[in-house]
Formats: sequence, structure tokens, C-alpha cells
Amino acid sequence: MMESVIDVVLSGLILGGLYALIAVGLSLQYGVGRVLNVSHGEFIMLAALATFSLYTVAGIHPLLAVAVVAPLLFVIGFALDRTIFNDLRRTSIDQDHFEGRSLLVSFGLLFVIQNVMLSFWGAGLRGYSILNTPVTILGHRYGLNRVIALVVAVTASVAFYLFIRHTRLGKAIRAAAERPDMAEALGVNRRRVLAICFGLGAGLAGLAGALYSMMFDIQASRGIELTVIAIVVVVVGGLGSITGSLIGGFLLGLVIALVNFIEPSLSLVAFYLIFVLVLLIRPSGILGRQIHAD
Amino acid sequence: MTRTKLRPTPILAMVLVLALLLTACVEADSADTTEAAPDTTEAESPATTQAGAPDTTEAMDVPTEIVIGNPIALSGPNNAGASLSQIPSYDLWVEDVNAAGGIYVEEYATSLPVRIERVDDTSDVGTAVQLTQQMLADENIDFIFPPWGTAFNFAIAQDITDAQTPVMGCTVGSRELVENPGQYPYFYALLNQYVDQGAALVELLQDLGVTTVAIIHHDDLFGIDFNDYMVPALEDAGIEIVFQETYPLGTEDLSQTLRGAQDADPDAFLAFSYPDETFLMTGQAIEIGFNPDLFMASVGVAFPPYRDAFGPAAEGIVGTGAWNPNVDTPDAQGFFDRHVEMHGVEPDRWASAACYATGQVLQQAIEAAGTLDPVAVKEAMDTTEFTTILGAFQFENQLNPVYPGQIGQWQNGEFEIVSPTDARTAEPIYPKPAWPEG
Amino acid sequence: MLISTILREEKPALVAIPVSIVALAFAPSVVPESIGISLITVLMFAILALSWTMFSGPTGFVSLATAGLFGVGVYVSAILRDFLPIEVLILIGGAVASLLALAIGMLTLRLKGVYFILFTFGVASLIRSSVAWWETNVNGTVGRHVSGASNEVIYLLLLIIFAVALVGGFLLRHSSPGLALQAIGENQEAAEHIGVNITKLKVLTFAASSALMGMTGAVMATRFRYVDPSIAFNPLFSFLPVVMAILGGLSRLYGPLIGVTILVVLQEFLIREYPYVYLLIFGLTLVAVVLWLPGGLVELTQRLYIRLKIQWIKMRMRITRFRRIRQADRR
Repeated sequence: MMESVIDVVLSGLILGGLYALIAVGLSLQYGVGRVLNVSHGEFIMLAALATFSLYTVAGIHPLLAVAVVAPLLFVIGFALDRTIFNDLRRTSIDQDHFEGRSLLVSFGLLFVIQNVMLSFWGAGLRGYSILNTPVTILGHRYGLNRVIALVVAVTASVAFYLFIRHTRLGKAIRAAAERPDMAEALGVNRRRVLAICFGLGAGLAGLAGALYSMMFDIQASRGIELTVIAIVVVVVGGLGSITGSLIGGFLLGLVIALVNFIEPSLSLVAFYLIFVLVLLIRPSGILGRQIHAD
Repeated sequence: MTRTKLRPTPILAMVLVLALLLTACVEADSADTTEAAPDTTEAESPATTQAGAPDTTEAMDVPTEIVIGNPIALSGPNNAGASLSQIPSYDLWVEDVNAAGGIYVEEYATSLPVRIERVDDTSDVGTAVQLTQQMLADENIDFIFPPWGTAFNFAIAQDITDAQTPVMGCTVGSRELVENPGQYPYFYALLNQYVDQGAALVELLQDLGVTTVAIIHHDDLFGIDFNDYMVPALEDAGIEIVFQETYPLGTEDLSQTLRGAQDADPDAFLAFSYPDETFLMTGQAIEIGFNPDLFMASVGVAFPPYRDAFGPAAEGIVGTGAWNPNVDTPDAQGFFDRHVEMHGVEPDRWASAACYATGQVLQQAIEAAGTLDPVAVKEAMDTTEFTTILGAFQFENQLNPVYPGQIGQWQNGEFEIVSPTDARTAEPIYPKPAWPEG
Repeated sequence: MLISTILREEKPALVAIPVSIVALAFAPSVVPESIGISLITVLMFAILALSWTMFSGPTGFVSLATAGLFGVGVYVSAILRDFLPIEVLILIGGAVASLLALAIGMLTLRLKGVYFILFTFGVASLIRSSVAWWETNVNGTVGRHVSGASNEVIYLLLLIIFAVALVGGFLLRHSSPGLALQAIGENQEAAEHIGVNITKLKVLTFAASSALMGMTGAVMATRFRYVDPSIAFNPLFSFLPVVMAILGGLSRLYGPLIGVTILVVLQEFLIREYPYVYLLIFGLTLVAVVLWLPGGLVELTQRLYIRLKIQWIKMRMRITRFRRIRQADRR
């Protein structure tokens, strides 16, 4: 019995680490830039495909490929925000208006990126099996690649938290997000800061994609699945909170692990049920900022 | 509100348009290869009416080519399977048949080249049905090659039956086809069905002396049907099911399920799965060190990318199928080599052959019927003995009773046929070797 | 009040609506068969876009639950097809969908903005995965065959539903509930202060629009001929009508219809000529519209109309001035 509990908890944390890793980029983009980027999953897939190609063509190990893929996605994200989303910010009436419009725009981007992926890589199945070696924790075995994903997720979140709290750029980011008018008055270049954030979110998607590629088969059309996971995690953890998405990821992971233990066929139902319930009961999520709930 | 100049945005617009042009160019290149330009064999001068031709106006209506409509997923989730198993085989067949001069149609006393008119059904059933109806109504289209997947094949079955146009599915599998053959008299299936595979699997397990099995399957038609067949069959064979679980499509983690199977310590592990899960469970089985004596999964194992992804770890893994270039059927190796030459990738070891055989059957049926009239061709389909890369066969209840193999196993980079009642291309490896280190 | 307002302000619509319905009724016998087959798809999306706009247009609450409500209608039809005539199935499909919508509506009273959008998406996904679970584990099967209906019947039924949607949408816009909905859209609190019963209005409108979606689903099941959860609840049924409606423009009734026509025609063209880039074009279109043409094509046509009118007035002024000068010259 104890063994089962340990297994469920560990499986949950590891699965949660994967969820958090997928979500952290989106959490940043929404948390600071207020863009609910539904093409986030496409970014992850793009990174996965690029990592795959780097490996099969140039023999570059995925963990090293991160150094190429993540910055590349950062640049793309930065450019997109600096142009399109900035435009939307300037021409939107209020926050809600902007959020709705940016949602729709990112939806268009979803189609665009997916088509680009299909054009360059085709739709076929591809994958590899890397870092699959078992790691034994408390007597149970888990995949090394998944454990790495967990470690990376936690590290990224913690690093980001410290970055936001203690560095100048981090403070500028917070200012730009929370008090835009004051921030501008104090000399913060809001546009650039927001674009950097969006780019960082994309870069984190790149990181997630490279790690993801080691665990699953890679297909251009599966980005949407990942976006859904990211959104659910971000909502559960709290829209607007980076550490929230880490905790949200773990919580979801634990619940799903529990469901997998009892009745695996219900795991997908449970996933959406939690999502819906959180939105009903506590839309701000676990660590989210209080929102107008009326 | 004054509209100020938006400078970065036009730049971005240009970039996006550039992306559009780029992808259009990339696709124009690959689209060219799929439009198999038929070798225009000099069609003889329009045939004068032959003795027995029903209509003297036929002389004006000699077609210059045979057009086959193919609504199929060029985008969306179904494209993965379609672009792996189905589209390349169809295109290879067109190239082969045109290189040999086309299909001889006695009614026009000439050979006609073949061309596929392919339209994207966007992995949407409504679109597939609509396209099929449009193609059936199009006088210029003579025959139809179906879309990918069981659901889509079933969706168009009624329409093609109403239009009396025979269609052969090569990526379709279901209990219905087996138990209810008369339902769609114009719909044929070339792919072997799970009943044959299930029976062969049970025989293999008996042959190897397996006494306990663990079964997992997904919550879709394929897995459910397969499972429903296997459970009583295993019981009859005296094999004990020590673990059984269902998982939903789209799951990210099968490790707990696999651990459950591992704890039950079965001789054999059987999974009735689709490619995404097949990949996932193989990787996770390695991670948790679950190495039963027999590891079997279903759809996906027979794909070259699966073998390539897992490399030496694929050695000894069993899967549904099965075909390989070494089977003793006409032109098997030739098909394999030409597929690699034309597409740069190997055919898969299950459905690709059936999809190529679709063309072979169509050609032979047309030649037997002597006409392009679909009703006559259908009658020829029911009565002709066909020679294909699957072997020689005649349809039984619109199903193909002959497949070179039902169950295969990766050995040394090739998917060998190991089911006992088939012509084995190699002896099964049992127990499965340990997962390789690293 | 309602009728006189309509008679005063909407004369073009009073003509256009019946004319278009009649035209659509005769279209299949006039156009080539191939186009007639495509018209079914057009009608389906037209109904979905119109009914989506009915609620989400004026209130600004973007709903992504369309696929769930449509799919429920599909399943009603799939399950009961062999027992009841199609007309009854349509009514049941609509009823079940609207009951579901009532429930969803009651639950979402406090949500707005992004949270509302996400909730509707979550509910649609929950419905899909629940149906999949139920079919697999309780019914032991997943796909369902649905006996087809002839294209003529399907078209006629869709046309009737379309007519209801069109007329209903028109009446709604010009009635007090319709105005109240717009008030909610502009400032929900203020609307409440002037006495609008927000709850009742939102929920009932949402339910009514969902009934139309359910009815459409019930008809489309006979076209799909084979349904399973991923077919019936395909998320594209949620997303595409939104794209079409926004492209066309939400401020006028014909906006979504323009959007539907353009995108369906565009898709028909792209899947044949440029199958590999059709997603790209869709995406770019959406981005472009949201960025530069937020009012949709309706805004574009209105701006063009105004510009043309100004040109016309200027020209008339010039002519008048010219005439006066000539008259002055002659004296």
C-alpha cells in the first residue's frame, strides 16, 4: 500500500514536472504580456522538430540543441510581440478587449506555424529514444528524460522567480506588467520589455520542445494538445503567476497520477473536469491575482 | 481615432507573406511529384465502334486517361497515417502502371494512362463525404481511391454503394466488415482484419508456450474490437489474462499502467494501440525496465520510423502487420525498391502493400471487365483472381482472405513474419532480448 | 414599437432576407451538382456562425462551446436515428443542446473575458471526453453508423434552420432584448443598473442560439454517416464559425454570412489548388482581419460605401456649381 502511495506521488510529481515545463512559457506570456498565446503548443512542436532534425542530421544531442533552438524561438517570439501584439496593445480599448483580440491573433498564428511545420517537415511520424534509461527513486524506476524535465521545470521557475524579484530587468518587467503608466514615467521601455518577455516565453517553449522530443513521437499536428495542457495548468495554478504554474502542474500531475492508479480510462475526463471546476470555483487559480469575479 | 503609421507591422506582413511564398514553393516542388505526369502513350485514333459496343456515339467519347479521385487527408491529424502508408503507395502504382503503358481497356481497344486527382479532406469527415459525392457526380472521374482510416472509409461507404462505384479500402479495419459483409456491397477491404491477426496472435502465443498475458488497449474502435476478440480466444487457448487495463487516447503517461503490468509478471505483454501510444509505451517500458518475454503493440510497430527511433531496442518487438520485401509474392522486392527510389523512404510493413495492391486489383479488374463502367468492374472484382504483391487471391465477401503475414517481429532491422500459420520469413525470437543499455 | 422600427430602418433587410432564402431554396436545382453539394457545407457554417453571433456578437462573450453543442445534436441523431423520423430528431437535438446550454449558462454567470472563453472551451472538451469514455466503457463501442439522408432532404432541413436563424437573429437585433444584449456588451454593470435582468437574458439567448446548433448537428449526422466523439465534437466546429463571423463583421447580420461564404469558397479553392498552404492562408487572414479590420468586411464595405457617397456628393456639388457659373455667364 505504501509502495503504491509512493509510486503515485512520484509519478504525479514527474508528470507534473512535464506539465509545468510545457506551461511555464505560456504563463510568462500571459502573466506579463497578457497574451493568451494559443499557438504556444506550436512553438513547442517547432522546437521539437528542429531538435529532431539537428539530431538526425547533425548528430547534436537534444540537450545541447537547446542552446540553438531556445534562442531561435526567443527571437521569433520577440519579433512577433514587438510588431503584432504591440500593435494590438496600442489599438485596444481596454485589457479585456486586448486579451480577446490577442487570443484570436495567436489563433491565426497557430495555423500559420502549423502549416510552416507541415511544409518543412511533413506530417509523418518521427521520434527517437534518448535518455530513456531508468532512474531509481525510492525503489521505483522512472525515465531519466522525464526526471530531467522535472528538474528543468523547477529550475526554470525558480530561476525566473529570482530573476523577477532581484534583477533590474526583472523589476522593469514587473513594472511594465503591473503599472504601465508609472513604468513609462520612470524610463522603462515598456514595449521592449514586453517583447523580451514574450520572447522569453517562446524560448521556454523551445526548451520544453527539445526535452519533449526525447519522450514522445513528434508530429506537426500535435501542438494543440500541448497548448491545452499549458492552458489548463496555467489556469489551475493561477493566470499570471509563474510559480503558480509550477504548483498547478504538480497538482494536476498528482491528480492524474491518482486517477491513473484507480481508473486510467478516466484520466482525460478528470483533466478537463479539474479545469472546468477551477474556473467555476476559483477562477484566479491557486496563486493567481484576484480578478473581478462578478 | 487617427491611424498613425504602423511601421513594424507592414514589415511583419511582408515576412509572413514571404513565409507563404516559401511554403508554396516548397509544396509546388513536392506537389509536382505527386501529380504523376502520365507517360502519354500515343492513344490510338479514337476507336471506331467495335462489334458489340452498345452505342454508336461511343466513337466520340473515347477518354484519353483514367482519372481516379482521391479525397484524403493532406492536413490535420490523419495526414500522418495517410502520408506514411497510403499516398506514397498510390502514387508509386500510378507511376508504375503508366511506365508500363497504362491500363488496357478492351472497349476502346487501347491502353489508357492513369491520373489521380487528389483533394484534401482536411481530416474532416464532412469534407470527405462532400468531396466523395462531388467526385462521384463528376463525369470526368472514373473511380475513387478512399481516404485514410476506418471512420472515413465507413463514412463514404453508403455514397459509393449508391453510386455503384467500387472502392477498396487499405487502411480500414473493423468487426463490422467481418460480421456484416453484405451491408456495403461496393466496399472492399484489402487490409487484413483484426480477427485474422487475433487468431494468429493466439496461435503464436500457444506456439511459444506463453501461459500468462497482460493486455492494455485504448478507448477507440480498433482497440476495443481487438480486445473483444482476444479475451475469449485466449480463454479458449488456456492462456491466463493476469492484467487488463484501458487508457484514453492522448494520454501522456502510461508508466503507471505499465508498472501494473510489470507487477503482474506476465509472459507476454499485448497492447492494442495507435502509433502515438505505441511509441510512448515502448519508451516508457524501457524507462521502467519492463521487459516481458514477449512485447507486442499494434499500429505503429510496423512503421520504419518506429524501428529507426528505437534502434537496437526494437529488436524482438512484435507487432501487427505484416509484409516485408522478402515475402514470396510477385514483385515484393521490386515494390520495396521502387518505393525507396521514388519517395526516399521505405514502405511500412503492413498497410503500404495493401494500398499498392489497390491499384493492381483495380487494373486487373478493369482489364477483366474490358470497360471502365463501374458496375462491370465491380462484377469483375467479385469474380477475378488477382495477382498482387500481397499474393494471389479472390475477394471473399469483399474481404481479402490472403495476407502474407499477420504478426511480425523486428529482427535485425527487418519486420519478419512470425505467425505460425503463415509462411514465416524467420523464426520468432523468444524470449525478447533485454533492453539495450544507454 | 418593434415592427415600426424595423419598417423604418431596415427596408433593405426586409427585402434581402426573404429573397435570399428563396434564392437558396431554388439554388440546388439551378447550379451544377458539385456546387449544390458544397452548399450544404456553406449552410451548415452559416447557421453555426449566425447562431454564435446571436449571443457572442452583441455581448462580446466569445463562446468556444459550439462544438460541444453541435456534437450533442449529432449524437442524438446517431443514437436515435433508427427509431424516430428526422424531424423529431432535429427537435430533440435542439432541445438537448439548449438544456445543456442552460446549464452552462447558469454556471458561467460570474465569468467574463478570457475566463469565459476558456470555460466554454473546457466544457466542450469535457463533453467530448465524457462521451468517449461513456461509449467505450459503458456501451462497449465507439463509432456509430448513421443511416444517411438524401442531399435534398439535408439541404431542405438546413435551409429551414437557416431561415429560422436568420429571421430570429434579425428580430432579436431589433427587439428590446437585443438592445439589452448590446447594453450588456458595452457595460454589464450599467446595464444591470438600468434594470436589465442580465442572468435571464444571457442564459436564454445562449440557450436559444445553442438550440440552433444542436438542430444543425442532428441533421449533419446524416451527412457524416459515421460518427465518433472526435468527429462529432471536432474543435474546428468551435473555431471556424468564430473566424468566419469575425472576418465578416459582427455589427451587421449579413457580416457572418459574408465571412462564411468567403472562407468556405476559399477553402474549396485551396484544398484543390494549394492543399498544402490552406492552413497558412486561414491563419494569415485571421491575423490580418483582427489587426487591420476589426469590424470585419462589413466595416470595409461600410467605409467604402461612405467614401463612394462622399465622392458622389462632391461630384454633384461640382456639377451644381458648374451650372451656376454657366448660368451667371449667360446673363
